[in-house]
Amino acid sequence: MTLALSKRNRLRQFLVLSPPLLWTVLFMFAPYTILVVYSFWRAQFPLAVPDFQFGNYIEIFTDPQYARVLLRTAKIAGLVSLLALLLAFPYAYFLAFKVRKPGLRLTLYMAVVAPLWVSYLLRAYTWKTILGTEGLLNSFLMSTGILSEPSSVFLYNQTAMVVTLTYVFIPFMVMPIYAALEKIPPNLIEASGDLGEGAIATFARITVPLAMPGIVAGFTMTFCLSFGDFISPILVGGPDGLMIANVIAAQFGAALNWPLGSALALVMLVIVLGIITASDRFERLGQARLS
Amino acid sequence: MRRLNKLTGSAACAAIVLTALPALAEGELNVLTWEGYADPSFIEPFEAATGCKVSATYVGSNDDFAPKLAAGGGVFDLVSPSIDSTAPLIAAGFVQPIDTSRIDEWDNIYEKFRASDGINASGEVYGVPYAWGAISFMYRPDKFDTPPTSLAALWDPALEGRISLWDDKSALYVAARANGDADIYNLTDEQLAAAQEKLIAQRPLVRKYWSSAGELVDLYKSGEVWISNTWAGYQSALLAEEGIEVVEFIPDENAEGWMDSFMIVSGTPNEDCAYQFLNMAISEAGQCGVANVNGYSVANPEAARRCMSEEQFAALHQDDPEYLDSLLLWENLGPRLGDYTNAWNAVKAQ
Repeated sequence: MTLALSKRNRLRQFLVLSPPLLWTVLFMFAPYTILVVYSFWRAQFPLAVPDFQFGNYIEIFTDPQYARVLLRTAKIAGLVSLLALLLAFPYAYFLAFKVRKPGLRLTLYMAVVAPLWVSYLLRAYTWKTILGTEGLLNSFLMSTGILSEPSSVFLYNQTAMVVTLTYVFIPFMVMPIYAALEKIPPNLIEASGDLGEGAIATFARITVPLAMPGIVAGFTMTFCLSFGDFISPILVGGPDGLMIANVIAAQFGAALNWPLGSALALVMLVIVLGIITASDRFERLGQARLS
Repeated sequence: MRRLNKLTGSAACAAIVLTALPALAEGELNVLTWEGYADPSFIEPFEAATGCKVSATYVGSNDDFAPKLAAGGGVFDLVSPSIDSTAPLIAAGFVQPIDTSRIDEWDNIYEKFRASDGINASGEVYGVPYAWGAISFMYRPDKFDTPPTSLAALWDPALEGRISLWDDKSALYVAARANGDADIYNLTDEQLAAAQEKLIAQRPLVRKYWSSAGELVDLYKSGEVWISNTWAGYQSALLAEEGIEVVEFIPDENAEGWMDSFMIVSGTPNEDCAYQFLNMAISEAGQCGVANVNGYSVANPEAARRCMSEEQFAALHQDDPEYLDSLLLWENLGPRLGDYTNAWNAVKAQ
């Protein structure tokens, strides 16, 4: 009797779990396995031949161009995350603690999140028309007399990429930070004040530590999303804008070197997983210290 | 009365459509090709005449053909890669041999194209040449006191931030010629490294490497770029429509030439329609079609003579085989493709 019941339970459990399980196996594990297999193959005209060798990985670690692009990608992703944090934290703080009316708070929150509903491509493209030599920014600076002739320093360089990516990914920073700040009980902050701590000390010792999970989550998401981006280099990046995702795309397309492309994709995957693991550790460390 | 007229009118229309119907619905063609190569101006009459419905998917670069076919799925019936990108498709068996006896005007196509390595392999023909042109250079005449005639202009520090190059391995061809290495498709390792260095030296002067025709047009339109390479005839016409004057030129160091052929994807279930398409493509309809839409020169000068004005015929160099011979027609790089792509990536990674 109980055996039959547990069996039926297990069946039900299986039925409930199988769609997501199937999905994960079919669209996550299978492709990644193929990617891993491919990364040991050898490129040979016209496409590739099965093999088991480490040549692709050796090339990635010996040819300096890959390290250079990886470093550049990490630099840009880091700058984007930092800039997004510096903008998003005060905004989320203002939303969580200073805006009293729920309606206004929702409106301001949606103002940040709503752009996510607009195509990413469109949002990135918009920055081209803003930053261009005959773009909005130049027109504005010239009409106010700050510039006498249009400047070309705003577009087609790494700064333009950082600005565009920050704009595109900042919702992913605001959302978790806001969620973390919102959860902080007001009486903690009041208690800190009652015990004689100043505003700055309260902020540094209560608010920031309690918001840390949100900050870490936002930083991680923004970093990983920027790290894998390949549209902004094409749209607003200059001749020095190549990022790792572009190199991977070139290996699968122009170079017809799928094995090297697969190996690069896996190296990138390992880096991103490493960052996620590290941030997870970091967050748990903070949690442990607090409790 | 008016209503009655309308009624009889639509009845007549329906009758015409209905009588026309039995000839239709013979098949469907999925064409993976360049923008303009399946323009409604000549595709709609083709569909009406043959009943073969054409759906076109457009590529942004030659790099898209092999990966799309390698991904499989039997989606496409016809592809139109350039002459340097055909070899992997043939070697991988993605495209099937063409029975040239089924192509009415085969013998009218330029001999140079029919015999080219790019579409011939082990005694079989794999492509029907369609259109060709130069990778010429262009500049804005209002920005130059003396018109540029040499590739040196693309390395002129005075033009810093006004130069653009195609984001393609062909950038190496340009740099190699600027270095004086004319055999651009067979560069030695040293020459390739020198071309790479030359491009790295040029990079601070480059505003942007353009990756699509539309992007290059935008770059000129918004005043970002004054000089670049281009697909002769295409972007300059688009710019002329926008009221921006550009002048194309073939530099002293010469220019590359390209040629696109239509190829039949192996195992297509729509072979009859495919052959009808190929015949249309190199007849007046397809040849003047692409010449009018894209401004490219065409592969069948006989058809061109029948449907072009004398001015257009001359402007597209259809009467001038020497011009065609002077261009460095793209070649497949074979096993060297990886080295070239690698060098170009290294420039951008610098």
